[in-house]
Order: sequence, then C-alpha cells, then structure tokens
Amino acid sequence: MSNFSPHVVIPLLLWGTVVGLDLVSVPQALISRPIVAGVVAGLLAGDVQAGIRIGVLFELFALDVLPAGAVRYPDYGPATVGAVALGVGTPWELGLGISAALGLVLAVLGGWSLQVVRRANARAIQRRSAALSAGESSAIRRLQYGGILRDTARGFILTLAGLVLASTIADSVRLDRQTAVAFTLVAIGSALAAAASGAFRNSGRGTRLKWLIAGVATAIVWSVLT
Amino acid sequence: MNRRWQALARLFAVQGTWNYERMLGVGMGYAAEPLLEDLKAVDPVRHGEAVVRSAEFFNCHPNLAGLALGATTRAEYEGVPGVQIARLRTALCSPLGSMGDQLFWAGLVPGLVAITLLGLVLGAGPWAVLGFLLVYNAIRIGTAVWSLRTGMAAGMRVGNAIGSSWLPRAIEWAGPLAGFTVGLAVPVVANWYLAGFGWSAAIGAAGVAVAGIALIRWFGPGLTSVRFALLAMVLLLLFRRLGL
Repeated sequence: MSNFSPHVVIPLLLWGTVVGLDLVSVPQALISRPIVAGVVAGLLAGDVQAGIRIGVLFELFALDVLPAGAVRYPDYGPATVGAVALGVGTPWELGLGISAALGLVLAVLGGWSLQVVRRANARAIQRRSAALSAGESSAIRRLQYGGILRDTARGFILTLAGLVLASTIADSVRLDRQTAVAFTLVAIGSALAAAASGAFRNSGRGTRLKWLIAGVATAIVWSVLT
Repeated sequence: MNRRWQALARLFAVQGTWNYERMLGVGMGYAAEPLLEDLKAVDPVRHGEAVVRSAEFFNCHPNLAGLALGATTRAEYEGVPGVQIARLRTALCSPLGSMGDQLFWAGLVPGLVAITLLGLVLGAGPWAVLGFLLVYNAIRIGTAVWSLRTGMAAGMRVGNAIGSSWLPRAIEWAGPLAGFTVGLAVPVVANWYLAGFGWSAAIGAAGVAVAGIALIRWFGPGLTSVRFALLAMVLLLLFRRLGL
C-alpha cells in the first residue's frame, strides 16, 4: 500500500524537483537517471526494493534515449519518482505494471514540459536582446537564473502532478491479480524492447555491434552456468 | 575562489538557459563572466564586445564546453579579431558536440549504467548506484577541469590540442565498452525480472519485447518505445474488458 503522508510526500517532492533540474540545467550529475531517482525515491518512501525494481525498468526505457544535440526526449527522472510513490508497499509483480503506466505518461509530460521551458527561455532572451547586444553581464546573469528557476518550477510541478496522480490511482484503481500481472509483463517486455532497440541503433554495423553480440553471448553463457 | 574555479563551477550550469535560438549561448556567457573580468580594467570596450560574443549562439556537449570557453577567453585576452573568435566558436560546435556525445551519451553513460544495472540485479543495492554516481562524476569533473585548462592553454590552437589529446582514443574504446556491457546487462536484467513468473509468462513478455523491437524499427521515429509501451498497455486493458 502506498504511503502519502507528508513525511513521505515532502521529501519525494523535493527529490523529484532536484532530479528534474538535473536532467538539463544543473548540475547534470546524472541523479536524473531512473536507477538513481528510483533507488533514492525508494529509500525516501521506505521501500528500497520497489525503488530498485521501478528504477531498473525505467532505466531500460532510458537506454533508448540518446540526448544528442537538440533531440526531444522523455523526462524519466520525476516520472520514476511518481512511479515509485505508487509502487511502494505493493508486491512488485502486481504493482510494477501500473506504476510503469503512470511513469510513462509522466515521462511524456516531462518531455513536453522541457519544450515549454525552452520556448520560455527563448522569449526571455528576446525580451533582453537589447541588453545582450550592449554586453550587459547582469542581463546574462538574470537570464541564467530565470532559466534555472523555470526548470526548477517544471520539476516541482511535474513531481507534484506525479504524486497527485499516484495518490488518486492508489485510491481508485483496483486491478484483479491476472490483469495486474499481465500489465507488469507488458511493461517488462516493452522496457526490454526499448533497451534492445536503443542498443542496436547505437551499435550501427561496426565494431560496437560485435561487442554488443559478445555481451549478449556472455550473458547467455552466464545464465546457463549459474 | 579564483576566477577560473568560478568559471568551472558555472560550467556545471551551462545548459541553465537552454533554448532553440542560442542553445548553450547564454550559459556560456554566464560561465565566461568571471574569466573576462580582468579584461574590463585593461580594455573596457573590448570587454563589452567579448561579453556580447560570449553569449551568442553556441552548442556542444556540455562536458566539453570548457574547451571552447577557455580557447575563446584566451583569444579575447590575446586581442584576436572578433570575427576570428566568432569563427572559432562556430567551428568548435560540431566536433565538440559529436565527440562529447560519442564519449559520454553513447559510450560512458550507457556503459556505466549497464554495469550499475548488473550490480543492482546481483544484489549490490544502493551501493551500486553510489558507485555509479562517484565514478561518473569523477570522470566528468576531471574532464571539465581538463577542458578548461586545455582551452585556456591552447587558445586559437585548441583544435590541435584536442586532436593530440586522450579524447579521440577514449572515444574509440567507449563505444565497444558500452556495446559489451549493455549486451551483457539486458539479458541478465530480463532473467532477473522474469525468473519468478514461469515459462508461459516469460514467453509472453518476450513476445511483447520482440514485437516492440520489430515495430519500433519498422515505424522509426513515429513509434517511440514509450508510445509502443503505452499502446500495448491500452490494448491489454481493452482485451481484458472484452474478456479475452
């Protein structure tokens, strides 16, 4: 059963905000990776195993993302925090699928919110274009702090939305055991498809593909021997 | 804190004002501010021009932005014509973006993530995540320090400095490392998730995975992995409603 008491929700809200800020703005220390966001959210919510299971699942999805240049991508950080809030205290076989569904919706919303922030940053720059052309350092500073503030607000709102949705789903959605397990299996299968697609796409046809195949072969030998 | 360290600290927020017009431009201007401070007393007109240039359009991998920042700052102090500095900035965008993406986003990050996944699956718990953060950030901070120092030392000759550095060699091994570790981790993680479900459930999940790989490849950018997952979940709910 998920716990939405203030002593759980407030740390999760703060954590989700920091995680959202880390993705692009600052400090890009990779605390926004789902394995980090999920494990810490699990620790904060008192169920580290749920954090690991959900974090690993979203990390498989995140392996499909290559955030090169100006490419658009989902934001899995606050999404993982919201998913963990929903999944804690539930046997993972039953809770993983519905948590993944919530997290994926939040990740899409997060990706969209990044575009909103980027457009707002562009408008702020246009408003201060005269000051920038005059070489005013104070204008650069204000733009920078404004951009970071907007991204902080984005992370906060996204995490808040995730926690509200998680609380609503925990209170109102009841899946029978068979459907819950099927949901979990679909989520796992989709995550594996995402990771494999990303791995093949990034490998191309050169040396890296050979190493990828060597890795898969090693994993198969390992699973046979153990 | 001296000005070089201030600039280094600000580089960690170089994407703070990311946008589709100037991309990293304003963040670079913010990071350049402490480095250009001494120019204000020597040549205030040049300082003003340098501040304007520092915040113009720029894009590259954030972890290598220090190379461009250091090189252009040194060029400003050496009195290199502004047109040449602007040309250097433009010329550095693509190579620094491409090298950083190959080294970090396509190499080091998936490689370290895969090792961390293996650690979590094998029971290392939060320690695996702590190790991931420590290793990645040690490499990343080391790269940022090296980038700024190399850029400041090389100035307009930064291209040669990059070409003869460790960077191209690191890119060569980062890709294979990522390929091997991801190839190893994904089946191990699959086994970790599916071991307790039994064969029929495992075959079902594998079927979803194979269908996903095929459809994502077939439809290209039109069907992302997230869209596929949400679509599969909606179809599942629909089938359950219909009693299938």
